[in-house]
Amino acid sequence: MIDCLIVGAGPAGLSAAIACAENGLSTMVLDEFMKPGGRLLGQLHEEPNGIWWNGIDEAEKLYQRAKALSISFHLETSVCHLEKVDGKYWTLHTDKGKFSGKNLLIATGAAEQSLPIPGWTLPGVMSIGAAQVMANVHRVKPGHRGIVIGVNVLSAAIARELLLAGVNLEGIVLPPRYLLTKGQSEPKDVFQSLLHMVHLAPSHLMKIGGKMALKSSFIRKMAVGTYPKKGFKVWGMPIKLKQTVTEIIGKENVEGVKVASVDSSGNIIEGSEEILPVDFVCISGGLYPLAELVSLAGCPFKYIPSLGGHVPVHDHNMQTPVEGLYVAGNVTGIESAKVAMAQGHLAGLSISSQKNKVSDGEALQNARESVVSTRTNALIHFHPDILDGRRRLYG
Amino acid sequence: MENENVIICRCEEVTFKEICDTLKQYNCSSREVKLRTRAAMGYCGGRSCRSFVDTLVAEFSRRPRADDVQLKYRPPVRPMPFKTLGGE
Repeated sequence: MIDCLIVGAGPAGLSAAIACAENGLSTMVLDEFMKPGGRLLGQLHEEPNGIWWNGIDEAEKLYQRAKALSISFHLETSVCHLEKVDGKYWTLHTDKGKFSGKNLLIATGAAEQSLPIPGWTLPGVMSIGAAQVMANVHRVKPGHRGIVIGVNVLSAAIARELLLAGVNLEGIVLPPRYLLTKGQSEPKDVFQSLLHMVHLAPSHLMKIGGKMALKSSFIRKMAVGTYPKKGFKVWGMPIKLKQTVTEIIGKENVEGVKVASVDSSGNIIEGSEEILPVDFVCISGGLYPLAELVSLAGCPFKYIPSLGGHVPVHDHNMQTPVEGLYVAGNVTGIESAKVAMAQGHLAGLSISSQKNKVSDGEALQNARESVVSTRTNALIHFHPDILDGRRRLYG
Repeated sequence: MENENVIICRCEEVTFKEICDTLKQYNCSSREVKLRTRAAMGYCGGRSCRSFVDTLVAEFSRRPRADDVQLKYRPPVRPMPFKTLGGE
């Protein structure tokens, strides 16, 4: 029987598999996509030191290391159910048969949260991540001219990638204000959340202005009040904080969007509505941990908004209260790929130590510290209160 | 905001208004909303709309979101052909 089954071949799953195999555990990785790498495959961004982070290269490096360690891979394999057999080992039910193993690591990452907007069921409307996969993984343009609805770290980063891929975008605008877009549709709230990524701003002036605005509510109010309708360009992409899409229109597929100007609280300014012709729309409401399998395994959850919603209870060694069940990566909370890799490495060592194949606790200690330092030094925090959210889990 | 007829559950075509009306009338849990309207009971297993349902329930009941997952996950958590599920 396999020592460790890993669901998810993203940054966490691959890093964990490598750590397990390096410590002598027989390891199997399953993933529903046809290529290993998970969300790494979509990533392309410039670090502050000017070096580009190319997720496809990073995924390939991890995959080659894993292959060299004789880890077995089952790609294009969907896990639809799991069970603990005789309280001793795990069996995964997939569309390619059953697989059993003594330990189970779930590294299924995150899923995208959409936002229901009139017309969002028309063909041509997609999540921002779908557009990213089309452009960066399959090298297909999602359309001729599009618009992004939902202003957040994820949509700004992916919009930049789409621009680099030569995709035409009108810009990033807000969703209409109603119960299901709370916190994402009022310019003043969204502006506040954007300030936490101001260190990424291209100009020095914006960085200074942003830091001042973070400290002073008066400056924030002024800034939102005077925010131009055309938006500010970030990485060449206009972020239109004072514009909202009220409806996506089209007969058989997307033909355009109705946009309107809004005040600082998100109220529509009468008479400002106009129609923009676009043939695709990307909606971005953020990410949430994809924890279906963890839930089926009987693991308890905690609701922590700063980590993306319901996250499985686990300790600082990535072990859950369910014996033989571990978690790593975005399924434990929404963070960057680098944190996921560090968590995966830690989970792999943690599983290995249970088999008494890691003799010294020093390696585990180092791996724990690496997760914390990677988190603290992360370039982008998907939520400003991530550290607080983590304290609620680990104490 | 003319969002009354926007579809929340795409699989079962349940609108925002239907869910809000149900909550106004019964002030109920996510599970009861699901049983009454079929929202989150479709093909995707509630993957798209469960958080919308939970959000609306929290808004109407004015109770904070609970730690427990409100709408139970049930296997298969991915769409599967019947032949995969078993039988000859």
